[in-house]
Amino acid sequence: MQMSRWRFALVPLALVGAAWLSASRPVAEGEQVEFKFREAPVNAAGVKGLGDLRGVPVLIDFWGKN
Amino acid sequence: MPASLKIQEQFGDDVQVIFVECQGTEKNTYEAFIWKMKWMGNNALWTNERVIPTVGRGLPEVALIGVDGSVLMQGYPGDFGKRLEETIAAEVKKSKHAPPGSPASLKEAWAVFAKGDLGGALEQCDKVGGDDGAKARALMMERTATHFARFERLLAASDLTEAGELVDALRKSCKGVAELAARVSDAAAKLAAPELAAEREASKAWASFVAKIAKEKPFDGGNVKKAENIASKHEGTKNGARAAHFVELSKINLNR
Repeated sequence: MQMSRWRFALVPLALVGAAWLSASRPVAEGEQVEFKFREAPVNAAGVKGLGDLRGVPVLIDFWGKN
Repeated sequence: MPASLKIQEQFGDDVQVIFVECQGTEKNTYEAFIWKMKWMGNNALWTNERVIPTVGRGLPEVALIGVDGSVLMQGYPGDFGKRLEETIAAEVKKSKHAPPGSPASLKEAWAVFAKGDLGGALEQCDKVGGDDGAKARALMMERTATHFARFERLLAASDLTEAGELVDALRKSCKGVAELAARVSDAAAKLAAPELAAEREASKAWASFVAKIAKEKPFDGGNVKKAENIASKHEGTKNGARAAHFVELSKINLNR
């Protein structure tokens, strides 16, 4: 009975783990990408995610302040 | 100035650059830094959320997403050379011109559309008629719909000055297009709503301020004073709050 409870507890953990892995795996060229911002970017002008930008090319520049 | 920022300023609304801060710098600190470096005054977005996972081992890194939402290239920008800018230019062209395989009879229609004259382009489509004309017409309407969607986003964000410029452009572009006349009027009416009067004034003041100071010592004492005046004159508006936020950013010590 206790073992079965543990199994139920592991299911959400496994789902969270799968979601994390899927979010962090590299995206292959040609693959569609979706993304929604949790917090509005600086200069957002109402843009909530990549879906809002469909129709224009999007250049993502990874940088660091330091 | 970062090369991507030059691309944003060169292509304007036709490209969206998103800068992703990857070193864990606090948002207000990197925002103050962007102002100080005179990197504002354009449409680039700045975030610290990884829009897509990085593939390299360090910075800088770029990724290009095409008009259809798929990843076209990703990696160290130095490895791409001119190919990056050429691919961006090709994608911009794709967003305005005929799709591959479009018949020669529609060449004129697409040329007119690329110039921003939807009404004239649709007339040309109707002259060609048949399936080809109808398909081109539908695609042009679909692409124009993205501008109306952008208008709604700008309105919701209280970026009313930019929203007003977009409505003016749509009014010109959609002239003579009966099925869009109501949509253009509706957008203009939303923008002119009496309840937005204070926000309109605030947006005008903030947009004019940003245009003047973004490229010349934004945090100079005189500019900060001007921002304080905008914040107090337009208190209670989103654009007034933007001015107040700018004043707070000016106080951040970036030398720490």
